[in-house]
Amino acid sequence: MNTKHTMPSDEDLTAFIDGELTAEEAARIEALVNQDESVAERLEFLARASLPFEQAFAPLLSEAPREKLEAMLADIPAPQNASSGSAPAFATRRRFLGALAASLVAGIAIDRAVIGIGRSFTPKDENGEWRAVVAEYISLYTRETLAGPTASREVQTAQLARLDEKLGLSLSPEAVSLPGVDFKRAQLLQYDGKPLAQIAYLDPETGPMALCIVMSSKGRKAPDLESRKGLNVVYWSNETHAFMLIGRAAVDRMTAIADGVRGRMAV
Amino acid sequence: MSVARTIFPAYSRARMESPVRPAVSKDTGLAEAAIASEADIRSGLTENLARLWRYGLVLSHQRDVADDLVQATCLRALERADQFIAGTRLDRWLFSILHSIWLNEIRSRRVRQGQGFVDAGETLTVDGAHDTETHVMANQVLKQVNALPEAQRTVVFLAYVEGLSYREVAGILDIPIGTVMSRLAAARAKLSGAGSEGGRQ
Repeated sequence: MNTKHTMPSDEDLTAFIDGELTAEEAARIEALVNQDESVAERLEFLARASLPFEQAFAPLLSEAPREKLEAMLADIPAPQNASSGSAPAFATRRRFLGALAASLVAGIAIDRAVIGIGRSFTPKDENGEWRAVVAEYISLYTRETLAGPTASREVQTAQLARLDEKLGLSLSPEAVSLPGVDFKRAQLLQYDGKPLAQIAYLDPETGPMALCIVMSSKGRKAPDLESRKGLNVVYWSNETHAFMLIGRAAVDRMTAIADGVRGRMAV
Repeated sequence: MSVARTIFPAYSRARMESPVRPAVSKDTGLAEAAIASEADIRSGLTENLARLWRYGLVLSHQRDVADDLVQATCLRALERADQFIAGTRLDRWLFSILHSIWLNEIRSRRVRQGQGFVDAGETLTVDGAHDTETHVMANQVLKQVNALPEAQRTVVFLAYVEGLSYREVAGILDIPIGTVMSRLAAARAKLSGAGSEGGRQ
């Protein structure tokens, strides 16, 4: 039995699975896998742990309190501002550290206050921040994320009803169906403590696509285009909601699809 | 369950390796370069806030600690803007700052003070629609990863969620590549075992 001598370590097999071996080392492992059933079994065992990690952790990105963190970052003074030019470096530095320490203690209270005010007075989410968050999230989607059969009309209706209830909408499967693109699911997410409707689609040509909606009081705004995270975004709003269609399809097609949705939803 | 914020030490450490700064006013070119890089770091931070926060959450399992970790990371990164090597990946640098703050300051303090860590399952779940298959799947994966010991959880997160190479993971955690490999191997063995025991396909 020479298994003992030829059995690669779990480390080697892991590095093999992860594509971290040199071509030469990888070839050696491959040969062993082909020769020895027990090596193949061990490899298969370890490879079973190749779970969809990226997708599982993706939603946590949108749970980050982005607004609060950005306010915190904005509150940090630029180090250069602390210097008056001629002060000795140590004094400047001490003052800077002192300022930072103070700003942290006070900063917590201040950013709490700022956030409180921000929530009630400023229409923060109309400035596109929510679209940045959605783009970040959607950019992590792959075809596999949305693999599986297309939901039946009943399922679609049930899923949409949840969105309707939370966002004060009345969506029908017909209104949100996109030409040539498969409806995959409608989900309720959360952005900044407010409900965010996400309807995910799979375009056979370009992959994941999504229509997202939040409540917004900024008023009517004609469709506009932007690019985020390498995705094309068409966004618009009416008196009550802001909308975005995001995907990898070409700008013309995205615009045409968005126009269709606006027509059918009468927004 | 909140961490004591007032003693948050990331910026109050006078003894941290201070970047060499000229004692008298710098020449204009240098000052401009420094200002530019501070702005770069700031915009890099803005871009990466959510990722940093997620990493803080994975490490600490607590949202308020994740908030604090991001804040401390921002402070330190801005303060050390001149230590960032242009042309290298800023996100990697930020991750390594966050990690060292966690390891050297927050975590050790919490252990010393005997504050327990909350059960991972409570904090790290996906909100929103709770009934779709994707979320069930996602929560199951989160649960399994969070059940790993911290050392393994960290490498799994950096390598498999953030998609970093072994070398990059080793750099962020300041450990040898061999250690990254053995932690990942141990984590895989555990995850595969958990999969079969729990009867999940």
